[in-house]
Amino acid sequence: MALGTSLRPCGDYRTDYAADTTIFETPAIRYVAVLTVILLLCAPFFCNRYILNLAIQIGTYGIAALGLNLVVGFTGQISLGHAAFFGFGAFASAWLNNRFGVPVFFAIPLAGLLTMAVGLLFGVPAGRIKGLYLAIATLAAQFILEDFFARAEWFTGGSSGAMAAPFTLFGTALNTDKTYFYVVLVYVVVLYLFASNLLRSRDGRALVAVRDHYLSAEIMGINLAWYRILSFGLSAAYAGIGGALFGHYLGFVSAEGFTILVSIQFLGMIIIGGLGSIAGSLLGTAFMVLLPEVMQGAVGLFGQKSPAMIQGLAYLKEMAIGLAIILFLIFEPDGLAHRWRRIRTYWKLYPFSY
Amino acid sequence: MRNRLMLCLTVLLTTAGSALAADIPVGHLTALTGPTSDVGIHYSQGVNDTLGYINQMGGIAGSKINFETVDYAYKAPQAIATYAGWMSGFKPVAIQGWGTADTEALKEKVAQDQVVYISAGYSNHLTDPTGKGVKSKGAAPYNFFYSPSYSDACRGLVKWAADDWKAKKGVGKPKFVHMGDNHPYPNAPKDACGDYAKELGFDIVPAIVYSMKPADAKAQCLSLKDSGANYAYLGNTSGPNISLLKSCSTVGVKTQFLANIWGWDEDAIKATGAEGDGVAWVVGATPWNDGASANAAMKAISAVSDPTGKAYRSLHYIRGACSTMLMGDAMKAAAAKGPVTGPTIKAALEAMKNYVPAGLEGVCTPSTWTADDHRSTTQVSVYTSAFNGGNFTMKKQGTVEVPRRPEWLGW
Repeated sequence: MALGTSLRPCGDYRTDYAADTTIFETPAIRYVAVLTVILLLCAPFFCNRYILNLAIQIGTYGIAALGLNLVVGFTGQISLGHAAFFGFGAFASAWLNNRFGVPVFFAIPLAGLLTMAVGLLFGVPAGRIKGLYLAIATLAAQFILEDFFARAEWFTGGSSGAMAAPFTLFGTALNTDKTYFYVVLVYVVVLYLFASNLLRSRDGRALVAVRDHYLSAEIMGINLAWYRILSFGLSAAYAGIGGALFGHYLGFVSAEGFTILVSIQFLGMIIIGGLGSIAGSLLGTAFMVLLPEVMQGAVGLFGQKSPAMIQGLAYLKEMAIGLAIILFLIFEPDGLAHRWRRIRTYWKLYPFSY
Repeated sequence: MRNRLMLCLTVLLTTAGSALAADIPVGHLTALTGPTSDVGIHYSQGVNDTLGYINQMGGIAGSKINFETVDYAYKAPQAIATYAGWMSGFKPVAIQGWGTADTEALKEKVAQDQVVYISAGYSNHLTDPTGKGVKSKGAAPYNFFYSPSYSDACRGLVKWAADDWKAKKGVGKPKFVHMGDNHPYPNAPKDACGDYAKELGFDIVPAIVYSMKPADAKAQCLSLKDSGANYAYLGNTSGPNISLLKSCSTVGVKTQFLANIWGWDEDAIKATGAEGDGVAWVVGATPWNDGASANAAMKAISAVSDPTGKAYRSLHYIRGACSTMLMGDAMKAAAAKGPVTGPTIKAALEAMKNYVPAGLEGVCTPSTWTADDHRSTTQVSVYTSAFNGGNFTMKKQGTVEVPRRPEWLGW
């Protein structure tokens, strides 16, 4: 099939394994990626607060979505408790900062580690069960942690929530959208590169092997239980860092913000973006964050006439989000990442696409 | 020459005019959706109508109030984000806020930014401007609200219950229980009120948690029945209380319910029917049919959204109007002395002593604020209701004067 997945041009032969496992498939992709980061570095000078706010949201949720993709897309497990890990990271970072005076700069990665420990703990059932049973087991993580947030006064401030101090670097508070954007950008670049690198390593390939055929993987000498639990730990670490970034951006962490609906939203992000795709995690997050905003804009365009119309369109907006997810599942089950590849291949081979 | 003079004059006049007419930005954070929308819709309408009325009457010393209403669906993070958004552009000098969780979370920020924050969350934690209260949870210098605090209101109910127990010639020690969701709003008066109940001779039964989202509550009602509580404080809003009372009636609970200021209203009386008869609750302003509808200013406020003058206005609507009129009067007092800013509005509010907004005499209860005590009032009006086959009645049982103890400041 012409619209295959490889973007490698003719004559680009690889002569060793190292060349075969580069992070970026072709030099062009590498240049585009570097250029995108450079352009994003300039973004705060051109974009208004609203756009930057959306970008920060995409960044923080995108990190957590990548974590979920590691466990669902790459290791083939299922997790319905991702929002709870996201929340744990947010609370842990605020707690480390408020209680022990750990600077926010260090509190965020430490919160990631603490969340990883919690994730490893709640990942233990994955060592034994799979499929729907695992889904229910991870549901426990969601409810246990959510209840913990509402009751553990010493850790989360209980039902009142916790204040999260702004991110400071050498005494300057990076608490505006313009400055915090850079903090999130650095984390996104580092964590996405880390995940890409991980998948080239022995451990990363083991995760994929567990997904593709667990029996073959075990016969090849892969410790199934260990890698399944590890994937939960990694996933939680990503969620924790994403949550911590989210908490310090907002300045306040509330026990009510991390419900099962958010967990399902994370799943929606990676399904729309593409299971088992690093770039897809970010694409899907961007889609989920931007869709309500675009719909809001559309309502604004048509809905100036009467209050009844505004009300009606508000419902339409909610329905459109659901519709988009269903349409994706029917027409593009492989997600945005796959669609993007097909568009590129189409142009690359135009007009002789075979 | 003459032309030039005219030009100069016009320029001068227009600049002076525009300086006079500079709008006063006010934020209005409300919950038209979410678990507290049952009462939020009424209150928000009261605030919006009153802001419109103030502008109709000439605004604040010639300048209009420019207000922005945002529905945050009772999600505290959403409120924080809205506040941050406002402070980076709109820069309100005062905010008409809503819930306890978000108001408490914002109290340090509004103090830093010097924005007067008038909430509809009457948490006692917001009443200590200096943070010197023995059991206070920190200073809240820019927080104000109209009405007795949740703690004082609950203390008033407990005192009423103690008298009720005596009047009914109850035997032994009456039992008291706190009921509500695990959320800052129902939790706010929990310890303070329980402490006072103990002092008045009640036995305190472990608290019962029921959701702020209306749901079947038979399990909670069964534990209430088992506990044998004689008096139960309801900490949630009226919506969930409807389903709770219906569930409790089903399982045969005989407890006397004491609802907080948001926990019982006309909608709830109508929806619960006879099963809700006898609930005692706190009312913060004169009800519509008991005189509020006859007040000229109140009529004019109501006419902003209802020119026909036929609409019935709920208890929460009237409190929203009182709260907003107090803010308007403080702004006018500030404008008489100089610019209208957060600190000048705060000073004007703190100068109010037994103050009733102009024109709303007999509707709003008098409020007093000082620089070191933001408990606007400690008088608690206790009412009971009867369904009466649909033609419901709300009967005032009396006004309880809760002592203004210094150690209760901020608790």
